Amino acid sequence: MNSEEKKWIEVGASDQIEVEDLIRFDHEGKTYCVYHLEDGYYATDGICTHEAVHLEEGLVMDDEIECPMHQGIFNIKTGKAMGPPVCIDLKTYQVKVEDNKIFIEI
Amino acid sequence: MTNNLDYQIIILGGGQSAAHAATTIRQYDSESSIAIVTNESYLPYERPPLSKKFLLNEVEIDEFLFFNEEHYKNLKIDILKNEEIKNVNFEKNLIESNNNKISYNKLLIATGCKNRTLNLENVDQKDLFYLRDINESTKIKNKFNSSENILIIGGGFIGLEIASSAKQLGKNVNVVELADNLMGRIVPKEISTIVRKKHEENGVDIHLRTNITSIKKNTDNYTIQLSNNASVICNMIIVGIGALPNVEIFDNTALKIDNGIITNQYNKTSIENVFAAGDVSNFYHPLYEENIRLESWKHAQNHGVSAGKNIVGQKTEYSEVPWMWSDQYNLNLQLTGRCDEYDSLVKRGKDENDGIIYFFMKNNQVFGACGVGIGGKIAKDIRIAGILSDKKIKVAESDLSDSSIKLNKLLKNI
Ligand SMILES: Cc1cc2nc3c(=O)[nH]c(=O)nc-3n(C[C@H](O)[C@H](O)[C@H](O)COP(=O)(O)OP(=O)(O)OC[C@H]3O[C@@H](n4cnc5c(N)ncnc54)[C@H](O)[C@@H]3O)c2cc1C
Ligand code: FES
Repeated sequence: MNSEEKKWIEVGASDQIEVEDLIRFDHEGKTYCVYHLEDGYYATDGICTHEAVHLEEGLVMDDEIECPMHQGIFNIKTGKAMGPPVCIDLKTYQVKVEDNKIFIEI
Repeated sequence: MTNNLDYQIIILGGGQSAAHAATTIRQYDSESSIAIVTNESYLPYERPPLSKKFLLNEVEIDEFLFFNEEHYKNLKIDILKNEEIKNVNFEKNLIESNNNKISYNKLLIATGCKNRTLNLENVDQKDLFYLRDINESTKIKNKFNSSENILIIGGGFIGLEIASSAKQLGKNVNVVELADNLMGRIVPKEISTIVRKKHEENGVDIHLRTNITSIKKNTDNYTIQLSNNASVICNMIIVGIGALPNVEIFDNTALKIDNGIITNQYNKTSIENVFAAGDVSNFYHPLYEENIRLESWKHAQNHGVSAGKNIVGQKTEYSEVPWMWSDQYNLNLQLTGRCDEYDSLVKRGKDENDGIIYFFMKNNQVFGACGVGIGGKIAKDIRIAGILSDKKIKVAESDLSDSSIKLNKLLKNI
């Protein structure tokens, strides 16, 4: 997709995600994870790059999300795959909060 | 005629630990020649699918290799396949197969486990089915094509996963287990009962506290008498009664062996420049202050990574908290830490739909945890239990048992 086609999409109220937690967000057949970390909100693809499992049941710790299936770890801010079994990075998306609502750019 | 080969680093065994160790070595050392020497005819592959998705015909081997051919080529890691090592000479730094003598400067042993075998009256060993590698899984699949009635001996993880797969393929399945419960002594009774009921709901006949009293071989099946007076007709017998470390080739050598290869927390064995990793290693675990041997996927991976680092001189202490899982039908079962020693058991969650976890407590700390749930329900809490035990965080039992309290809050109790 080229950048001109990107749009800000509303995810929902910002207070629905606790700090160090995430929610799943589905939009137009794709699925995402939206995170609330100490220093703000972040978003990544929802599906682990290892074996196509959803990350929504995963553990958020510091800046990382750990896949519930085999405990592969990604950095939430950069999407970087931190070591085996994951080796492909997770896609990340821009997030903004306006009027207590979260938007992601997809 | 035998050939002489020479590598700076040899990894003996071509499984999970081997694949990750070799890859890790290359991250730090671009120079040394490296070979993985294996008796298998495939690139290193994952074993969990062998009893699950591969048996169910849902995946092919190229979908569960750890890394593809190109990966090893790019990293200049040679994989010598079909090389059964028969002899190891630690004085001369040499390993030998029928065709090759291969010398090394450093050796990593990652030979994994082999299945325990069972001798049954009136049945040839070659007519029994076991499951450890892809050839055996393929053999089971082929035999499934002409078998409607399956008898599984052993109600451990692998036997039960095969039962689950066979049932999903529409077979009639009987499981015979000597003990009072499925999956051994460490899985709490309530959890093993949930798993047993799941099998029974799906139509598997589970025979606990039962052994085989006699077997009669007929033209194309067996008639089997069980000690609980049941009589079972089956076309094939699959045995899953546990595994033993692959160490016979080190008999009569100086390598120290006791339930696997004695290894310290830096993957070192009793012999200089010889390391061990994965299922074959009985390693010193700093958290438990004793040696333990594990047969699990995550451990095989990370112990291999740790061996790779220690081999290249990046001294790395291995102290990972044990973790393993089993999938049967839509149930996911997980174990973490140590579940063999505890003062009390704390339960969280009411049933498998909710996810149910037992915490094994010692001195107000979580020592281990075992849970079962539909899909990934318990994964996060089991992971948190692992971290709580690793960091020795004190927790109130009432917090663990209260499902309305999010467990990641307890990680802040440091
Ligand atoms: C059917 C099955 C299902 C499993 N499911 C799960 C699961 O759901 N969850 C979980 O946590 N764990 C599971 N495991 C366990 C996990 O797969 C193992 O712990 C892991 O594979 C161990 O890795 P390893 O490298 O130590 O040994 P292996 O992967 O067993 O590799 C050992 C290698 O050494 C080779 N070798 C041995 N002797 C020689 C010799 N003399 N010469 C040359 N080569 C030799 C073998 O052929 C093999 O290639 C399962 C295991 C099996 C068998
Ligand atoms: S599916 Fe996420 S780590 Fe394997």
